[in-house]
Amino acid sequence: MRTLWLLLASVSFLLISGCASQTSSEVQEEDILKIVAMNTTLADITQNVAGEGVEIEVLIPPGADLHTFQPTPQDVAKIADSHLLIANGAGLEEWLQELIDNAGGERMVVEAAQGLEEATDRPGDPHFWLDPNHVIHYAQQIRDGLIALDPRGESKYGRNTVEYVDQLEDLDRWIKEQVAVIPPEARLLVTNHESFGYFADRYGFEIVGTIIPSVSTGSSPSAQQMVALVEAINASNTRAIFLEAGSNPQLAEQLADEAGITVIADLRTQPLFPGEGYIEMMMYNARVIVDALR
Amino acid sequence: MTSQHARSTTAQILPDEPARLEVAGVKVSYNGHLALNDLSFQVAHGARLAVVGPNAAGKTTLFKALVGLIPLKSGHIQIHGQPLGHHQDCVAYVPQREEVDWRFPVTVYDVVMMGRFGQQGLLQRPSPSDREMVMNSLEQLGIADLAERAIGELSGGQQQRVFLSRALAQNPHILLMDEPFTGVDFTTQEAALDLLEHLQSEQVTAMVSTHDLTLASERFDQVLLLNKRMIAYGSPQEVFTPQNLSRAFGSQVLFLDGVAVVDQCCPPEDEFE
Amino acid sequence: MEILDALLTPLSYTFIQRGLLAALMVGVLCSVIGCYVVLRSMAFLGDAMAHAVLPGVAVAYLLGRNLTLGALVAALVVALGVGLFSRKGMVKEDTAIGVLFAAALSLGVVLISSIRTYAVDLSHILFGNVLGVSSLDLWLTAIIGSIILVSILLFYRQFLVVSFDPVLAATLRMRVGLFNNLLLVLLALTIVISMQTVGVGLVAAMLVTPAATAYLLVRRLPTMMLVSGFIGGFSSLVGLFASYHLNVASGAAIVLTTTLIFLLVFLFAPQKGLVWDLARR
Repeated sequence: MRTLWLLLASVSFLLISGCASQTSSEVQEEDILKIVAMNTTLADITQNVAGEGVEIEVLIPPGADLHTFQPTPQDVAKIADSHLLIANGAGLEEWLQELIDNAGGERMVVEAAQGLEEATDRPGDPHFWLDPNHVIHYAQQIRDGLIALDPRGESKYGRNTVEYVDQLEDLDRWIKEQVAVIPPEARLLVTNHESFGYFADRYGFEIVGTIIPSVSTGSSPSAQQMVALVEAINASNTRAIFLEAGSNPQLAEQLADEAGITVIADLRTQPLFPGEGYIEMMMYNARVIVDALR
Repeated sequence: MTSQHARSTTAQILPDEPARLEVAGVKVSYNGHLALNDLSFQVAHGARLAVVGPNAAGKTTLFKALVGLIPLKSGHIQIHGQPLGHHQDCVAYVPQREEVDWRFPVTVYDVVMMGRFGQQGLLQRPSPSDREMVMNSLEQLGIADLAERAIGELSGGQQQRVFLSRALAQNPHILLMDEPFTGVDFTTQEAALDLLEHLQSEQVTAMVSTHDLTLASERFDQVLLLNKRMIAYGSPQEVFTPQNLSRAFGSQVLFLDGVAVVDQCCPPEDEFE
Repeated sequence: MEILDALLTPLSYTFIQRGLLAALMVGVLCSVIGCYVVLRSMAFLGDAMAHAVLPGVAVAYLLGRNLTLGALVAALVVALGVGLFSRKGMVKEDTAIGVLFAAALSLGVVLISSIRTYAVDLSHILFGNVLGVSSLDLWLTAIIGSIILVSILLFYRQFLVVSFDPVLAATLRMRVGLFNNLLLVLLALTIVISMQTVGVGLVAAMLVTPAATAYLLVRRLPTMMLVSGFIGGFSSLVGLFASYHLNVASGAAIVLTTTLIFLLVFLFAPQKGLVWDLARR
């Protein structure tokens, strides 16, 4: 009986130590680069910069709330298997450090928003990517990370980034044109939480207020805050409340009812459908806003 | 005193009427063991029966089975020759004091009036005759002046009278009393015995469980001695023999110079299991 | 009158009017049925049922069915499950509730974390917001709430006897099992519709605190229900107004108001109050 237990223990030990030895993250000649991106926006940007020949996995599925997301053991495993981790940074992924620690081993981590300056009136707002110009910075950060990891691809990544930046600049111009249709006094946004701040800054909108007075979705407004929002809406020319797809419309509907405006439940902060990339998403957002406010 | 009766018409009192209560081959199971094992006896109408036995002998279980609250593992129980449930409001049960939630917000009047609920339809309100019956019952037990008091405020004896009063108001054919003499003062004990006498004159059958063996032998016509099984059933003289007492109480009974001493604290070893 | 005007400013907003009505209805409803919750020691069960709706909502979502219905079914399953585990006599009711409570909550978390696709955030369903009540919500609450209250009144005697003395109920040939289950159904309905209006935490408190307060003040059950209902309604009104003027969360303010009333009564109730008790020594 004792021999059996001993045998079982030895075999288990060998198996476990065998598994543990695969944590090298050096890119071998034959290896494909394994990248984990925190969300679909980052995944799309990375795909554009890296081009063919890499494997990109998304951690937070489209539609899930970025702020209340909780990683599972499988998520930790995904990261453990990866060579490169692309995160937003700036406080968006609060549990990031814990995740990295749990995954163990070594890999390169790129925080795309690193180096960007926060808006002074919105400390702690990590939603930089709603302004395409900031996404240029994201792309450059990701490019630099890829080059550090895979120096052989330097020229490829460089070229891709230049092309992508061109597209982003086109996008920026296009949005400006679209938005021009809206009379300046009607460029007013009320959103679910403080996510479109950088978009508003770039394209001349004013954020009249948000239902959840926070950069995170985890809380609820008080009666006084809701009344203040109603007053702000009434005092301005606000025509619509914009919700992100998937958020709880309960409070928004009552507010809209009170103020006599509509609720548009269609904005996105992340590409939602397969095949939809960041640029398509932003074009969609612009159209939604313009249609509602023109 | 005579009271208004609202009896079910099937309870004709005839000399050769089937035994008021019939228990045949009853087994009751609780928590995996047999609480009552093969009980069979008959009680004639108007009988006054004392149910005695050590703690956990199954006295309360028997009463609850008679009321229909506990399912029978086997055997049957019949009242007036009909199975349980056939007659509404046939049986009244006076509970042990510790089984009552004394903190429940009800007054004495409320509790006794509950006894009349069986006579009222779904949406009916208490009728004047209901109210009269309740007050009569309270008077008969000497607690009419306590009608508006919350039951939690009463003394032990008063509490007992409330439930006696309720039983009276129910106009039962069979009255079950679970240890009504335990922990009450002498006056209340006498009040309970007076009630039994009065009821006997009305042909109401009474089954009373008690630990007071002297009381059982002196004030009751019939005795049922049990310890999960039926040990003996009959008149006190027939039942209270040294042999029966030994079988029921095991080593908790001691015979000294023609006196039997019983310590009823704990359930003895069941030699039959 | 300026102070009164200032005090009543929130009322000029229809969403606050609706919230007030909803809180009032839910406050009264929970407080009345809460009398049975307190007297039958069902406080823990009520809390468990309120939290157990999470898996019900998740399953309903996965099956594409009505979420409220899913919540209702889950609450009933927990209540009946507790009965099942404890009736056999092998597990204490308290234990049974603890086990099922934890299981249901965890099952809900697992199911919801498995729904990792483009979906409305399900847990928000649980946390109804008194400031987000629509006209439809208000009507539903009113109608279903009325049905529940009417049932409690209609079967008052049966519930009374079954709660106070089940043996008497048996002798009176009342269907003890039926009425116990009916009470559970009414409780589950109360919890589910109240939750949608005012959220989990508020419901659990409104089921217990007003009734507990009323118990200290009265001698009879009908009075207890009246007083409890009044306290529940009053707390909702005062709490909601206070939350506006103090700029704090509305639901929690209501709960704290009713708790404050409980404390006052506990200390100063005629005869039973703690203060008088200490003074007598």
